[in-house]
Amino acid sequence: MNDMTRVDRAIRIDVRNLEFFYGKAQALKGITVPLYDRKVTAFIGPSGCGKSTLLRVLNRIYELYPNQTAKGEVIFDGENILDGKVDLNLLRARVGMVFQKPTPFPMTIYDNIAFGMKLYERMPKSELDGRVEHALTRAALWNEVKDKLNESGLSLSGGQQQRLCIARTVATKPEVILLDEPCSALDPISTAKIEELIDELSNEYTIVMVTHNMQQASRASDYTAFMFLGELVEFGLTEQVFTAPANRRTEDYITGRFG
Amino acid sequence: MNRVLYARRRAVNGIFLALSTGAAAIGIIALVLILYALLKNGFGGLSAAVFTQNTPAPGSAGGLANAIFGSVLMSVAAVIVGTPIGMLAGTYLAEYGRHSWLAFVIRFVNDILLSAPSILIGLFVYELIVVRMGHFSAYAGIAALAVIVIPVVARSTENMLLLVPNTMREAAASIGAPRSIAIRAITWPAARAGIVTGVLLAVARISGETAPLLFTALNNQFWSADPNAPMASLPIVIYQFANSPYDDWHHLAWAGALIITVAVLGLSVFARLLESRQR
Repeated sequence: MNDMTRVDRAIRIDVRNLEFFYGKAQALKGITVPLYDRKVTAFIGPSGCGKSTLLRVLNRIYELYPNQTAKGEVIFDGENILDGKVDLNLLRARVGMVFQKPTPFPMTIYDNIAFGMKLYERMPKSELDGRVEHALTRAALWNEVKDKLNESGLSLSGGQQQRLCIARTVATKPEVILLDEPCSALDPISTAKIEELIDELSNEYTIVMVTHNMQQASRASDYTAFMFLGELVEFGLTEQVFTAPANRRTEDYITGRFG
Repeated sequence: MNRVLYARRRAVNGIFLALSTGAAAIGIIALVLILYALLKNGFGGLSAAVFTQNTPAPGSAGGLANAIFGSVLMSVAAVIVGTPIGMLAGTYLAEYGRHSWLAFVIRFVNDILLSAPSILIGLFVYELIVVRMGHFSAYAGIAALAVIVIPVVARSTENMLLLVPNTMREAAASIGAPRSIAIRAITWPAARAGIVTGVLLAVARISGETAPLLFTALNNQFWSADPNAPMASLPIVIYQFANSPYDDWHHLAWAGALIITVAVLGLSVFARLLESRQR
């Protein structure tokens, strides 16, 4: 996984001097971090350290709410996505997101997947069917749902719902996938399935993941960023961060001394 | 343990229980008496003629067919006119304007409208439509009822949309769905049962309204399906017949009251069923 010899580590999203405010309260302080192309970057840190906030800047989902502001630069494809001119819908179609709690739409399993695809593409039914199947297969869910595609997405179990949400995200062909504690509401078996999925998806997608689970970060990621009180304390190859952290606070956190 | 304190608490508890039970009893007794009188007199006045014949002249036999038709027509038309406006207004309040001052103002005005005396709405439509057209008409009646429907539907739509978790909106946004599509494909369906319930409650509300029709649709003794002419309705006929000195008319008024009550009751039960099915 960690190809140390590779030199051409292309940066997919470059976060520079990012500051974030909830009203007047500052939640992120001068974050600078590269997110590498087709790698999994995990953000760890105690609750309230700003890792989810950072994730929510990357597709500007925070703009659904008033009084939340971001300053700095988030360069994606040579463009600062914090720029007011960016089309939010197109940005979010390219930077998909999976949430902590599964969020299936109140529609059939099939439509849950097809909905996102039909937003930006027109295609014949046969192709749509194929893409739905492909997405569900990618999310390791096809075999479980192929006979009940017309049932409500809400009828699935929690783990299945989360995989449905991943399939939904994958189906729209994003370039980057943001995962906000995707396994925290799931049992260990579902968690294992989703971690496997993340590993496989990282061949094609740039993945940014927030997790509370140290083992998950060490198992599933290529790079790890440790955040504390709105600051980025340490960033590096996961192996390095977990075996030889440069910062004392990182070491304390990952060894369970606080947090 | 302080026995005096405990005895005092027991006594206060007893008094409080007696007061609230008494209050509930007064309310229920009144309701039971009303229903009893309604059922006794209403069933007495009910016959096939009620549904087939028009409102009679004093002294002759007749029914309520034109009034039932008028009520159904005007209520249905008012709902058809008022529901989209109310739903869109409620959607603005919950989805687009939620935190804006404009939404705050609209919400405030809407609440006033919600509790405004319906006779005021009747007068408003009288000034706006009846005076300009020069005559009473079912159009004006429909407009008055629609004005009553709008705030009810707007309020319930907003409340139901607010119950849809924000994570659903985030999920829709996160795959690049523009807001209008997210609302139509996701938040409306998620709130559907609640919104339908609100519409049914609005129907129940307007089907018994008398005051706004008094100044607008007025009344019509004959069968009329012309919306540009005055039209009969159950509440107005009940009002007119109950105030008359004729026994025949009294019987018909009771029958009309029973029909409205049963219809509203049926709608309410239907609304509750829909609501419970959503949960």
